[in-house]
Amino acid sequence: MNPTDLALQLWPAAASATAVETDWLILAFTVLTLLLTVPVFVAITWFAIRYRQGEEADRSHGNVRSVLIEISWMLIPFLLTLIFFVWGARLFFISKQVPGDAMVIEAIGRQWMWKFQHPTGQSEINDLHLPIGQPIKIRMISQDVIHNLYLPALRMQMATLPDRYTELWFKADRTGSYRLYCSEYCGTDHSKMDGNLTLMTQADYAAWLQNAGAQQGGQAGAGRVVYESYGCGACHDPGAKVRAPALAGLYGREVRLADGRTVTADETYLRDKILNPNRQKLAADYKQVMPAFRNVIPPDDLDRLVSYLKSTGATAQQEAKP
Amino acid sequence: MSAGASDSAVGVKLVSHFATVEQQKRAAVLGMWAWLLTELLLFAGLFLTALILRLLHPEAVQEAARHLKFWIGAINTVVLIGSSLTMSGAIQLSRLGWQRGMVRFMLATAALGTLFLLLKGYEYYADYQEHMMPFLSDRPYELKDSPPSRLFVNLYYVATSLHGLHLMTGITILLVMTWQASRPGFLGQHQNRIEIFGLYWHFIDLIWILAFPTLYVLNR
Amino acid sequence: MTSGTITDGPALREPHTPDSRLGHGADYLHAEHTLRSWFFTTDHKRIALLYLASITAFFVIGAVTAGLVRLALVVPDGQVFTNDTYNKLFTIHGVVMVWFFLIPSIPATFGNFLIPLMIGARDLAFPKLNLASWYVFMTGALFTLASVVLGGVDTGWTFYTPLSTAFSNTWVVPALIGVTIVGFSSILTGLNFVVTIHTMRAPGMTWFRLPIFVWTHYATSLIFLLATPVITVALILLIAERAFHIGVFDPAYGGDPVLFQHLFWFYSHPAVYIMVLPGMGVISEIVPAFAQKKLFGYKFVAYAAIGLASVTFFVWGHHMFVNGQSDFASVAFSVLSFAVAVPSAVKVYNWTATIHKGSLKLDTPMLYAMGYIGLFVLGGLTGLYLATLAINQHVHATYFVVAHFHYIMVGGTVLAFLGGLHFWWPKITGRMYIEAWGRISAFLIFIGFNVTFFPQFILGYLGMPRRYHVYPPEFQFLNILSSAGSTILAVGYLFPMVYLVYSIWFGKRAPANPWDAKGLEWTVPSPPPAHNFLTEPVAPKVPYDYPLQAQETGRQHS
Repeated sequence: MNPTDLALQLWPAAASATAVETDWLILAFTVLTLLLTVPVFVAITWFAIRYRQGEEADRSHGNVRSVLIEISWMLIPFLLTLIFFVWGARLFFISKQVPGDAMVIEAIGRQWMWKFQHPTGQSEINDLHLPIGQPIKIRMISQDVIHNLYLPALRMQMATLPDRYTELWFKADRTGSYRLYCSEYCGTDHSKMDGNLTLMTQADYAAWLQNAGAQQGGQAGAGRVVYESYGCGACHDPGAKVRAPALAGLYGREVRLADGRTVTADETYLRDKILNPNRQKLAADYKQVMPAFRNVIPPDDLDRLVSYLKSTGATAQQEAKP
Repeated sequence: MSAGASDSAVGVKLVSHFATVEQQKRAAVLGMWAWLLTELLLFAGLFLTALILRLLHPEAVQEAARHLKFWIGAINTVVLIGSSLTMSGAIQLSRLGWQRGMVRFMLATAALGTLFLLLKGYEYYADYQEHMMPFLSDRPYELKDSPPSRLFVNLYYVATSLHGLHLMTGITILLVMTWQASRPGFLGQHQNRIEIFGLYWHFIDLIWILAFPTLYVLNR
Repeated sequence: MTSGTITDGPALREPHTPDSRLGHGADYLHAEHTLRSWFFTTDHKRIALLYLASITAFFVIGAVTAGLVRLALVVPDGQVFTNDTYNKLFTIHGVVMVWFFLIPSIPATFGNFLIPLMIGARDLAFPKLNLASWYVFMTGALFTLASVVLGGVDTGWTFYTPLSTAFSNTWVVPALIGVTIVGFSSILTGLNFVVTIHTMRAPGMTWFRLPIFVWTHYATSLIFLLATPVITVALILLIAERAFHIGVFDPAYGGDPVLFQHLFWFYSHPAVYIMVLPGMGVISEIVPAFAQKKLFGYKFVAYAAIGLASVTFFVWGHHMFVNGQSDFASVAFSVLSFAVAVPSAVKVYNWTATIHKGSLKLDTPMLYAMGYIGLFVLGGLTGLYLATLAINQHVHATYFVVAHFHYIMVGGTVLAFLGGLHFWWPKITGRMYIEAWGRISAFLIFIGFNVTFFPQFILGYLGMPRRYHVYPPEFQFLNILSSAGSTILAVGYLFPMVYLVYSIWFGKRAPANPWDAKGLEWTVPSPPPAHNFLTEPVAPKVPYDYPLQAQETGRQHS
């Protein structure tokens, strides 16, 4: 199921046995909550009607054993809720004991992106592809402020701290595309520090690692890191403050220039525009505001950045086709 | 308190919203204790952080603590204990209504407090000479190879300067009060102010008695 | 304490006359008229009004920013503001509402106004300190407002390191200085209350004759005294860290960023009870008055207030279950949180039992109180969800948390504040407001609140993180619903601001005791005379001495 299909959703997808059990815990707790609160709501409303001033009603009072009443209505709800404390703590401890055969994913959080590295070396940005039916441990750290990796479909989250590794583990059992977020407020683009968690069968995962995974994890993936670290997105991302041309899908397209010419956005064009954007080839309808990156960006970073821009072109075209 | 029982010149004037002098005096004492409790927790937070640092980075803290001037700290401890003694003397004399003696003891207290600040200032100056001020960006830090030592040194400055600030406030109040107390009739109306201030002064002393071992002694 | 003359107090031993106008000199509002007489007053009642005016202004700032936040969230792609603007808006909302409205709200206004009246004193123990604490409060507020004017702060009201110390490019230091200064104002207020309640009680006013309002304020003041210095030191370290890089919270020097969270929540969890306990006090006054029945389980509620204030110091770790805290610490904090949440939530049973077989008047204060009971119990019990470790792993830092604490703070504190405002308005101003308008606004607020915040429980359970400007489109419907509710809530808030102000000039004159309520504050004229009591106050033999009462056995009231 694709989560973006719906404008209203009332039940979150659960993709692991732990997630399902957490749901049962929440559901059962809700039943208890209703048992404890609905009588109060009903009683208040009923008393408000029955004992309104001027209404005929029996207001005589017998003896009330108030100590007994007080203690029982404190102790009984407390003991009942303790059941849920124990249940919750048990689940919590299970979620802390990582099986020895867990596959280890390294995650790095930084303002404002996630980088995940698979055990086979491939890495991806913001999105995460994982197999089901296999315990997975995500070992994570932050490069700057505190972030928090949140996987709602697995009912799991854990903070990434700048000074030490933290971890969470799960064993998913349902394929599909789910959300992942940063849930600890981390600055300007906190709300854009999200992506998709794709859970697939072991075979699909192996295939993904071979194909798309390898491609994404290579030069292009590293290029995305370069893109973020030079702050390109501050102007070029959709919705950025400074209006600059969108770069997704740019590669291979025809670009109309301010002087009326049209050029194809090939690799040379991209390189030129990054190193010396103010020379001649200004795109139509845009102001000349971009700083030059000659002598700023080292050659290997430039290579990575260009392959990232090329890869976004490929994705955009793929999406456009069907 | 039996203040003023033997001498009619010693006492406390009733302020209109209190019913009795006894009530007024109780309120003032309780108020100062409540304030000191708050202050104690303020410093407790700092000392706790210092102890946590020591647990986390014992070597770095010890290395940094070697640069503290132990003897200045020790002398300052004696100076402050001495000032508490003179303050107690002032309180005793105020109860007896012996105004001139009391004023002298108060001046001695203020002098000892100032001596403490002077010694502390010299200690800071020596630290500056030794490049032990890591928060100064234009002055290289002596122990730059040991980053955690910075934490301890900085915390030392936060704690001691906060204590110094309290002491400075205390000396100012004390001097103003000495000036008021030197005028005739003071003890007949406001004797309890001396007692209340005494509580505060002993408290500043107490904080130093906690700070000295936490910062200087424990880490040697 | 310097000025003043030796006096026996004003005209004692006069016959007790409950009528409001005795021609005994002017009441506190009309005793003097100059601006100076307001800004340099030491009368606790006037200082309460200074606070009331200031916190209302802060409430408006907080509410407007909340409205803008809700406006931004109508669309999922964050097109209304830039991300930075949005972040600054929710930060201002949080900082202003928590530090400048909720924490001072009930204690600084009603506490200031009523504690001396309720215990039969002429004023608080330290009237000048009381005035000073208002000035300290305003100075702190000025710093924070300065940071807003200069360009805002974007760290969230929690100021987590290292974001606040090393990464934010906004005006964090003035905001922090402001909050630190306001802390001192809280400490001074708490100190004044503790000393007043201990030493200034009228003859015969023993501890178990005190109204619950006084008990809960006593408990609140203890938290002010014991918890506030810890946040002060945490904020001082934070300021030093940001300004001089002292490194205590910086991992580059071996410091620990999570240490700040510990220090922060060591204050800020008890601070929740600073907001909650005074509200419980207000409700415990309103419910018996409008049921004309003695509060059920008086001693129990009084002890509970002190008990809650103590246990709340040991639960701060439940804010850090997923922040790398040791698992065993998490379990301990979890069970302690249950131990504090259940007793506070079941307080609603005491109020419900008080209504039982009462003689109910459903006037505005009572409507607010009933709304409070409903919302507070939901807020309290959803707190248990968050204290449950496995559930916390899912809903931590989502809209579930946002909904939960708004049920506690708006459903609890704000409704209690408004209920108290309507209850004591005749006493404070000497005027009656128009009852029908009061009831309409109480309904609007109750409905608007639920439409705004109930969908947020669902949003959180679905996994929408808090502080998200751009959010996935599947959450849009519930967000629109929430924003729609906030407009109803806004109208509900606007009404009292209009009709209450109107009543000051055009309202009917209020009698000394319009609600037939018990308590010493209702024995003096409305508004009270400058020195509170025309005759020496006589403490009642029993608190809440209403005509109806259950014969409680198993405990005696002394």
